Amino acid sequence: MMNSMSNTVEKLKRIVNNLDITKVDEREIKLELPNEQVLPTLLALKEDGYSHLSLITAVDWIDEGKFELVYILYSWDNGGKFLITTKINRDTPKFVTVKHMWPIARYYERELHEFFGIKFEGNNDMRPLFLEMWDDMPPLRKDFDPFEYSKRKFPDREYQKDVIHEAKIIRGDIDG
Amino acid sequence: MAVDERSLWEKIADKLRSRSLWMLHYCTGCGAMELPPTMTSRFDMERFGMGPMATPRQADILFITGYLSAKTLRRVIYTYEKMAEPRYVIGFGSCTLNGGIYYDSYATINRLDYYIPVDLYIAGCMPRPEALLEAFNELMRMIRRGEANGWKKYKENYEWYKQNQIRSLGEVFVHDEFHE
Amino acid sequence: MGEVKLFFGPNHPGMHGNFSVHMYVEGDTVEKARPLPGFLHRGFEKLMERRLWYQNLALIPRICVPEPDINEACYAMAVEKIAKIDVPERAQWIRMIVLELARIASHLMSFPGIGGTIGLYTSSFWGVSDRDRILDIFESLTGARVYHMYIIPGGVRKDLTPKIQDLIFNTLNYIEERLGEYETLIFKNRIVHTRLKGIALLDKETALELGVTGVGLRATGVPYDIRKVDSYLFYDKVDFEVPTATEGDAYARVYLKYLEIYQSIKIIRQCLEKMPEGKINVPISEGNALRYRVPKGQAYVHIESTRGEYGYYMVSDGGEKPYRVAVRGASYPQTFIGIEKYLPGTRIEDVPIWLSTMDVCAPEVDR
Repeated sequence: MMNSMSNTVEKLKRIVNNLDITKVDEREIKLELPNEQVLPTLLALKEDGYSHLSLITAVDWIDEGKFELVYILYSWDNGGKFLITTKINRDTPKFVTVKHMWPIARYYERELHEFFGIKFEGNNDMRPLFLEMWDDMPPLRKDFDPFEYSKRKFPDREYQKDVIHEAKIIRGDIDG
Repeated sequence: MAVDERSLWEKIADKLRSRSLWMLHYCTGCGAMELPPTMTSRFDMERFGMGPMATPRQADILFITGYLSAKTLRRVIYTYEKMAEPRYVIGFGSCTLNGGIYYDSYATINRLDYYIPVDLYIAGCMPRPEALLEAFNELMRMIRRGEANGWKKYKENYEWYKQNQIRSLGEVFVHDEFHE
Repeated sequence: MGEVKLFFGPNHPGMHGNFSVHMYVEGDTVEKARPLPGFLHRGFEKLMERRLWYQNLALIPRICVPEPDINEACYAMAVEKIAKIDVPERAQWIRMIVLELARIASHLMSFPGIGGTIGLYTSSFWGVSDRDRILDIFESLTGARVYHMYIIPGGVRKDLTPKIQDLIFNTLNYIEERLGEYETLIFKNRIVHTRLKGIALLDKETALELGVTGVGLRATGVPYDIRKVDSYLFYDKVDFEVPTATEGDAYARVYLKYLEIYQSIKIIRQCLEKMPEGKINVPISEGNALRYRVPKGQAYVHIESTRGEYGYYMVSDGGEKPYRVAVRGASYPQTFIGIEKYLPGTRIEDVPIWLSTMDVCAPEVDR
């Protein structure tokens, strides 16, 4: 772990108790936090130089019945990355918005609402962004089967089997 | 429609049409990346009498470059219906043929000729500019011989096409509400 | 005159790719603007979860058309980071060569973009045909023009033979020579100056606040480049500069791209010199390549693409398929917040300039 990153972690330990730290590599640290400690941590990290929000995304852990929200913060000063993750309930997915801290978060959250069905308190702009007239469950959830949906909505081409052509391939007359 | 049904004037008109084709400049998918090389100096599409055209009203060819998401398909159907007859459609890439690499995607269609008539397909992902030029030449030959009749098919089987469009899209109408 | 509602795109010759902007226009000035993405949405993140680790190689380059190699490198590096694989040194150098060639190709492709928007079509013709020279290198190296599927987890697919090295060397000389002509055509051209200088302004504070990366940020005077700050591959072992400008306008951004081509050429020449002999790939796990398993874990890998920070967040549950792959398109911030916040106030004819110099790229945003 880089020096400046461990300093930041020390600072965080003062704000957050029971910090669950996973070191992914030299410049990347993953922190798993309880829900209510995410915002203070993000704020502290932002003030400490990790002010570039790379990505907000979610992972569907269907066996646990949880969604894992992932905030990736990056520092332009030392090249360190923090992955801040928190798990929320899958049945009533809800979290608080961070759009006041990073303007782009508004669109990331809107995207997460569209693809996972997660609601963000304080962010009311939840109209569909990428999909138009979507009529099924949010598509990036693990129990959604895109193949099934594609078969139902978009019919395939029906190919006719050319028996004579195949027989010729078997006989070795032509290369398949 | 058989070749014989064309009158002499139509035959002459087809011959002339094949010499001056305008392609609608609508990049629906990633195949649009091979269009600039085809249009510019190296492959030079214009030596065949073809050029890009900005508006559907004045275009002859609708060139579907690759995958079509359901959202784009609505616009494509609109565009196609806006074009003046005769109009020709070329499907570019495997994704228009049978879904290609996106056969199981929830957002893209699997087969273009189910929704609008397609005169010619170019297989491959992505086809090279040479394949494109070959396809344009083939389309010109087809027009001269009176075989590029997709637009007539669309008129005759309008009900069938509409029904397919509604099956996949729910509604063809474009709701472009302003994103306040 | 009242307000007019204007739909710009997706079917519009001035639009870059399949993307749409809705605007309220008062006279010639844009009052309100909203982006409307999604025309190129293919559900990549879902499709990747359905395919094996190795099968995904065919899928990932197709996420972003102008820069397929960036995606391949991101994917490969993320897998290697989770599986903790040491990639052979030669493969790393070859990757750098491929990535820089891709950067040159993509930058050359941006001249047609800007040329088309201001009506200077000569630069369109030049840019595209010079880019084709790079595509020829790719063709002899990987067998494909646009989608290469060349950088695989564990290394690269084929070796860089001396013959191809010669081809690269000659092509770089040719492009370097041509760049002088670009300078006279574009950057000493009075029309370009009047059309691009002072247009599409972005200042330093807002660029940082929005999270704009890449050329858009560097044109405001901030020398942030992931190749320098969070160095990957062997970018710390080669000597190159990060060109910056202070104006923050469209002209500065186009000029920076032009300067970056020189830097890329410099990097490739050093790579060709320093590249050692050796293996070019290692298996990422035991057994059949199709049935590779990647151990449990997660990683975020980002690299500097032509448009900024391109990132992959990847989660593996130890299975044969990725559990989740999230893609951060490089132009996400400027596409959404940028259009919403910065288009109001500009004139209609400057909107395409804004879009093309800020590198709004629809496929990587829609995925």
